[in-house]
Amino acid sequence: MGDTKILAMCGKGGVGKTSISALMVKLLAGGNNRKILAIDADPAVGLASALGINVRKTVNDIRNELVSRIQKGESQARKETLNFLDYEIFDALEEREGYALLAIGRPEDEGCFCRVNNLLKDIIRDLAGRFDIVLIDGEAGVEQINRRVMKTVDQLVLVSDTSAKGISVANTIAHVAADNNAVEFRSIGLVLNRVKSEDEVNDIRGRTNLDIYGWIAEDDLIRDFDFRAKPLVKIPDNSPTLHVISGVLEKMKVL
Amino acid sequence: MELFTEPIKALRSFIDEMDSKKSWQEDRYRVWPEGGGRNIVLKEDMGLELGSPEKESLSCILWTEHCPNVADGTITLIGPDFSESMGKSLPFGKVVLVGVEGFTEDNAYDRHRAMDLIRYSLDLKGFMMRAASQYMREWCRISRSTVMEGFTIKVLGSALMALFRREPFVKAVELIYVTSNTSDVNMLKQITAPAEKIISAMNKMIGEMDYDCDKCDYQTVCDDASQLKSMREAMIKKSRESRAVKSG
Repeated sequence: MGDTKILAMCGKGGVGKTSISALMVKLLAGGNNRKILAIDADPAVGLASALGINVRKTVNDIRNELVSRIQKGESQARKETLNFLDYEIFDALEEREGYALLAIGRPEDEGCFCRVNNLLKDIIRDLAGRFDIVLIDGEAGVEQINRRVMKTVDQLVLVSDTSAKGISVANTIAHVAADNNAVEFRSIGLVLNRVKSEDEVNDIRGRTNLDIYGWIAEDDLIRDFDFRAKPLVKIPDNSPTLHVISGVLEKMKVL
Repeated sequence: MELFTEPIKALRSFIDEMDSKKSWQEDRYRVWPEGGGRNIVLKEDMGLELGSPEKESLSCILWTEHCPNVADGTITLIGPDFSESMGKSLPFGKVVLVGVEGFTEDNAYDRHRAMDLIRYSLDLKGFMMRAASQYMREWCRISRSTVMEGFTIKVLGSALMALFRREPFVKAVELIYVTSNTSDVNMLKQITAPAEKIISAMNKMIGEMDYDCDKCDYQTVCDDASQLKSMREAMIKKSRESRAVKSG
């Protein structure tokens, strides 16, 4: 992977993981002329929406096309298949100013096409290695990131609101990732979202061993963007939330 | 062994009839820096694009054992060169005409495949290529700075020719590029369509060894190209022999 830094975002559904991912993409795309790849691994393609992108083609669409060719009996030599997938995946990239987005799409249908899934993972890993920073917005669990995108990341970023359930899920994900070796990572940290006061943060410190990279206060502007389905990349540069996220990225040494 | 006699003849007429064409001899001395594997060109760095999925694209290899049919080392361009096309997305056609030797029913498919895979070894700084053999399409991007540093069709073609020459069975290489317009690329597609059918038939033969010829979509292609039939017979023979060895 060379010097590519890979960040994977995980956490319980509804805690604001995708909004934070979108704002991270905005910040990363705005600086230092680096190549940024955002991977939307959420089946609902929420990151694409938050970035204001209509996805034309997902990795799963490509997978289905290949599976259908195989089912029709077309022979698929490995090298030719890899090159075909590489072509199609590059075509699926949505390129915007400062970054590109790849949407994974809905999880695969029933039936085992491990060979195709593995080839796709190979291509995604190869593509990712050609960018400077890769940000994966995942589903709740880390297993999905491993199964559908890649096994090794540099930075696992867990996102939670201040609810006991959210923190518990974050702790569980950290446990599954570390002890069950679901995803290999170099460091791991927690970002708290929709925090009412610093007291809540101090309280949470007593309930988790995770390093807290930053905490984001309730933000009416983000709520309004969400409510009106406005792309979060359009949020003003002086947004306090953006400022906190900038600090989180600095802490991870990617900004 | 000859499979592409007619497409090569038609290709030669196509080139002859084109008024606005430029030709060069390959440059064996100018070496473009390697891309170091990170050969990705995103839109924001792009100088120009060729054969994108929104444009016409064709990439084809035709080979012949009659080497005088190949103008060895010649790179022909129909249309503008890279420096004349800054900021544009152009249709793209490319034919590699290869003079070969020692092609038989036993090795023709493997050698054709080896030649098809050569382009993926091109690693040139600022040049990105994605290709799908299944579609016979090739999609290239060249970065702005690379065009400004003097990357031309001649540089690209020379680098590709050098890779082809590494194959011991390759005796001559000629390249024909089309960047002029959709209609010219479509003409090239028509010319190479019979070759595409032959190549698809070869792929099918390899993939489906027990296929019944009477029910095969490519039966007419094989009927027209008798050497394809010989290839198939050689494959069946090889397959039987290998089964006999396995069963002891």
